[in-house]
Amino acid sequence: MTVAATARDRGDPHELPTSLPSTDGLDAARGVLARAVGGLGCFQLDACLRCGLCNDACHIYLAEPEPANLPAAKAAQVTRLFRRYHTPLGRWLPRLAGAHELNANALRELGDAVYGRCTACGRCALACGIGLDLRDILRVGRQMCAAAGLVPDGLERTVKNQLETGNQMAIAREELLSTAAWLSEDLQAEMGDPAARVHVDEKGKRVFYLVNPREVKFFPLSLLAAAGVFHAAGESWTMSSRFYDVTNYGFYAGDDAAARELTRRVIEEAVALGAEEIVLSECGHGYRSFRWEGPRWLGRAYPLAIRSVLELLEEYLDTGRIRVDPAKNPARVTLHDPCNLVRLGGLVEPQRRVLARVTQDFVEMTPNRAQNFCCGGGGGMLSMSEYGERRVRSGRIKADQIRATGARVVATPCHNCADQLLELSKKYGLGTEIQAVVELVYSALVYPATREPPGAASARTVARLPD
Amino acid sequence: MKVHGKTIEFDAEGFMKDPALWDEQVASAIAREEGIAEMSDKHWAVVNAIREYWKEEDLAPSVRVLCQEAGVSVREIYKLFTAGPARGACRVAGLPKPDGCV
Repeated sequence: MTVAATARDRGDPHELPTSLPSTDGLDAARGVLARAVGGLGCFQLDACLRCGLCNDACHIYLAEPEPANLPAAKAAQVTRLFRRYHTPLGRWLPRLAGAHELNANALRELGDAVYGRCTACGRCALACGIGLDLRDILRVGRQMCAAAGLVPDGLERTVKNQLETGNQMAIAREELLSTAAWLSEDLQAEMGDPAARVHVDEKGKRVFYLVNPREVKFFPLSLLAAAGVFHAAGESWTMSSRFYDVTNYGFYAGDDAAARELTRRVIEEAVALGAEEIVLSECGHGYRSFRWEGPRWLGRAYPLAIRSVLELLEEYLDTGRIRVDPAKNPARVTLHDPCNLVRLGGLVEPQRRVLARVTQDFVEMTPNRAQNFCCGGGGGMLSMSEYGERRVRSGRIKADQIRATGARVVATPCHNCADQLLELSKKYGLGTEIQAVVELVYSALVYPATREPPGAASARTVARLPD
Repeated sequence: MKVHGKTIEFDAEGFMKDPALWDEQVASAIAREEGIAEMSDKHWAVVNAIREYWKEEDLAPSVRVLCQEAGVSVREIYKLFTAGPARGACRVAGLPKPDGCV
């Protein structure tokens, strides 16, 4: 309940609620390490110079400046195991080499570092003087823990839900269908148009839309908004009632086999429904997983196009398919950059150009774009209750950033970040509202649009097109 | 937290460790932490709907079930519980934290 640290969660790894791995588990973890030597290469696994340049890049270290939270100290949990088995000195004189046996205790300490003290946000990589990506090294640590069966309970349950039910919140198919019908009624009332609705399981539609199950179960206003904007744009779209989950908890857990299976189902469902393009709802790791990691997991390119809804929203504005009035969003709005979407996903500008056109007072927080700080809820942290207090403490950096903007609304294209930001608003007394970008587009909609030729619709649109 | 002699413990996420200790006074105390000074009839309708569903299904209800059972609109629920149905309403209703992205 409190934001103050307790001795327990400040991290004696022996008190962690993880179970001990079996001998098989240890062998599996060693196997992961051996494969990483071939994949990442010896250079990366043992290259960190402990120079300290990345210390202040880490929001967890900034919030809790203790040695175990130093990015280099976290990476060293992997490196010391690598040295023991894959360097000559480490094999023969482990103590001299700073090498450590891969035993049950070493794995628990590793788990504490890679799950409990790191959100895999990748900000440390930007600070590294020799261009090392510590996140890659820490990911090897997560893969080792996953292979040994040491994934934190909350994360593991979520992966299991996703594999067994097709979505991470174990929402029944009937519930999805009922929710779509219920939302459609509200949408029709709000738009004054009985044709507006949430489309499900329709064949031959152009867009196959993926959502975060959180939108279906607890926060449907972003789905309502997306359906409204699609309708205003005259889009041909559908969701699936079986595989509609944009998230991939296999990715968070470091479980590549689960990640591959979750990707495969969605791609096959989109093809089965005859869609031309997959559009991803606002989700940081979902974008990173589907857009960049998926083809690698599957070992082949997708048979159809894929992009974020943010890119589609910008296209609607550029081509005049929707009309908006920024005066409908008069409050000051700032933008939080989800790590997996922006720093690690490369989608940086469309959300900014969209917000600048649908709100009246859009301000950036500092730092922003690739340099932005993690909200503290990334990397699966939000589903691991055992780290809840640290998660809120490490969010102080983000809370300070938001407060400095004076914004009343924080837009964030990620539902995971949204939950953390909502909690930060409460715990740090920010009084900010959290919205998805598509919600702000929806509330700025002019619908029905008056008939004007596309391009003349908005002076702003014309102004930013290159001659 | 102490409520009329009972000591209520919470997990690191602020959800009740022992849901069996829940009663209306406990709910009101948690609600005050959520910035709800006085639980209105609508707040109670939402909390009761969550608890009834939870007792039967051992799951937190979806926002649709919640709104329809409690008779509130989808936009209204976020005004009643600013932390939302999961971290706000379910917490007041004494449920454990729902899994996943919440």
